[in-house]
Amino acid sequence: MKLDRRFPAVLMAWRNLDRNRLRSALAALGIVIGVLAIATLGIFGNVLQLSATNELGAIGNQVVVGPNQDAGVTSLNTREVETIQQLTSGRGTAVPLISDGAVVSNGRGQSFATLYGISTPTALFTASEGTLPDRHRQGAIVGSSLADRLDLQVGSIVDIEGNEYRVIAVLAPTEDISPVSPDDGVVLPPEEFVSDEYNQVVIRADSGEAATDIAASVREQLNAREERVTVFEFSTILDQIGEFFALLNSFLLGLAGISLVVAGVSIFNVMLMSTSERRGEIGVLRAVGVQKGDVLRMLVVEAALLGTVGGALGAVLSGLITAGLYYFTPVTLAVALDPSNGLYLVGAFVFGVVVSLVSGLYPAWKAANEPPVEALRG
Amino acid sequence: MTDQSATFGAESESNADFGEEAVSAHDGPTLELRGVRKEYETGGETVVALGGRSSEGDELTGIDFSVAPGEFVAIVGPSGSGKSTLLNMLGLLDEPTVGERYLLGRDVTTLDDEAQTNARKEAIGFVFQDFYLIPTLSATENVELPTIFENDPEATERARDLLRRVGLGDRLDHTPNELSGGQKQRVAIARALVNEPRVLLADEPTGNLDQDTGAQILDEFRRICETGVSVVAVTHDPQVTEFADRTVRLVDGVIRDRDADGAGSDVVDVRAGAGENARSESEADR
Repeated sequence: MKLDRRFPAVLMAWRNLDRNRLRSALAALGIVIGVLAIATLGIFGNVLQLSATNELGAIGNQVVVGPNQDAGVTSLNTREVETIQQLTSGRGTAVPLISDGAVVSNGRGQSFATLYGISTPTALFTASEGTLPDRHRQGAIVGSSLADRLDLQVGSIVDIEGNEYRVIAVLAPTEDISPVSPDDGVVLPPEEFVSDEYNQVVIRADSGEAATDIAASVREQLNAREERVTVFEFSTILDQIGEFFALLNSFLLGLAGISLVVAGVSIFNVMLMSTSERRGEIGVLRAVGVQKGDVLRMLVVEAALLGTVGGALGAVLSGLITAGLYYFTPVTLAVALDPSNGLYLVGAFVFGVVVSLVSGLYPAWKAANEPPVEALRG
Repeated sequence: MTDQSATFGAESESNADFGEEAVSAHDGPTLELRGVRKEYETGGETVVALGGRSSEGDELTGIDFSVAPGEFVAIVGPSGSGKSTLLNMLGLLDEPTVGERYLLGRDVTTLDDEAQTNARKEAIGFVFQDFYLIPTLSATENVELPTIFENDPEATERARDLLRRVGLGDRLDHTPNELSGGQKQRVAIARALVNEPRVLLADEPTGNLDQDTGAQILDEFRRICETGVSVVAVTHDPQVTEFADRTVRLVDGVIRDRDADGAGSDVVDVRAGAGENARSESEADR
């Protein structure tokens, strides 16, 4: 085989590593494990976070305004509801609702259910059976769990506190976390309730920023003189969840980082050993006219090759594990293929190469700077 | 960079021309030391490795030494007499404490590391007792070694030619562990010649070889001298002096006697010295 003249340093380095394959393989294995750990734990953390944000999805756009019970306010008056609706208009929808509890029964059984008085149910819910009216004037809309329990369909009659209602729609089971969870509830027209004051207003904004904005202006308008209302932004939950995942992720990465540092130490050790074994050879290289810089380059390339091979292998294995995650767990394809996962793969690989390079620097520098006379003396 | 280093640096582009041009421009010695002394500190004491005192004993002196183009000089002397130090001085591997040295008429007494390395690459070949071949490279690749870090497309062909010249035409792609000691030393000689140097420096070139193989290697040196390349060999081996044009005897860092035309009356002396050396060598080095 002919020496490749274009990359002599790479070729020499490769031959040198080839000389003691087991030792080189073990040094590279350290990097494989380090990169595998960083990439895989990073991706795991990332997949958890992505799945969670996907699940929680739109709740960051939601704001719930309620009466400030601490100040003795028990309901929102019409003026307040109108103010909220004005502030929301154009950037989302504000749905005022009355909530209460009651026993719901039909011929087969009875169950306690939450009652919601909402005039525009389409803003908050979707139906799995029947259709939701734009303006809710009559009839009951039942949640999926309650419908299962009492075996209700569109057209069934339910008895709520002595009044009979025809079921006009059954709601789809809720998957997202939502301020109103009607699975066990019944939605009735607000006029059916004794009280005409609303208990809360659910705001669905078009975006997270709009939600924050609306919440701020509602506070400003309604709580100017006294704390009349409480405003709860769901985005704060998202923020907290995000912070938790960031913490979890950095913890996992820190843990994995330790293994890469250990791998770096092992490369340092291997390079130190192999350069001191080759003192004579390196001395001859210098004697026959190879510059210090070229010797240094050759040795650093050796360390970098260990890192590159080890890192590539680690990244490939980590990719396979991520694929396994998709096949064997409920993780969705979109989450598994998210570009940010690739970032962890590339990042871990680069980190592995850099660690090897840095570990190789001192042994290489030491060997290249030894006077050839000393090296040849043996 | 000094001026000299700049000169050698510039010539690295066309190192094949360096020798011829320099030799034609310069009729004097290939390598020359003038009043060179080497001292180093060890354990708080100053040890003189090369050089001595004048006959009156009150003046420090250095060594004068030169080798002409095509000349084969053997340097003999007991262990610790400064032979290796002298060779390192000549080979630009070590710096003299006092004195001047000239390579092809150029002052190379103090060059920076890069310039020294370039000068070695362009004008000096080395052969060692332990061959120092790289075990992972083939014979041809080992010969190419001094050129691998630069773009020299003809190096491979030159390496193969050199190996054929030293009788290894059928071993071009063998690795060192597939070669005998004599063959390894020939690979090393070919390696020393790949950059077409003006001088070949050999440190115990026959030290690890039997008598017959040693003679073949020395024959090789003679042939090299015929091409105008100087050879300087440091040795304990009396056989080397038989092949040399001139033998320089070094004792305690000082040149004791010179013999103008090699062999002849001096041989007995050298042999006696060699016997004595062999003993002290076994005590001191081995």
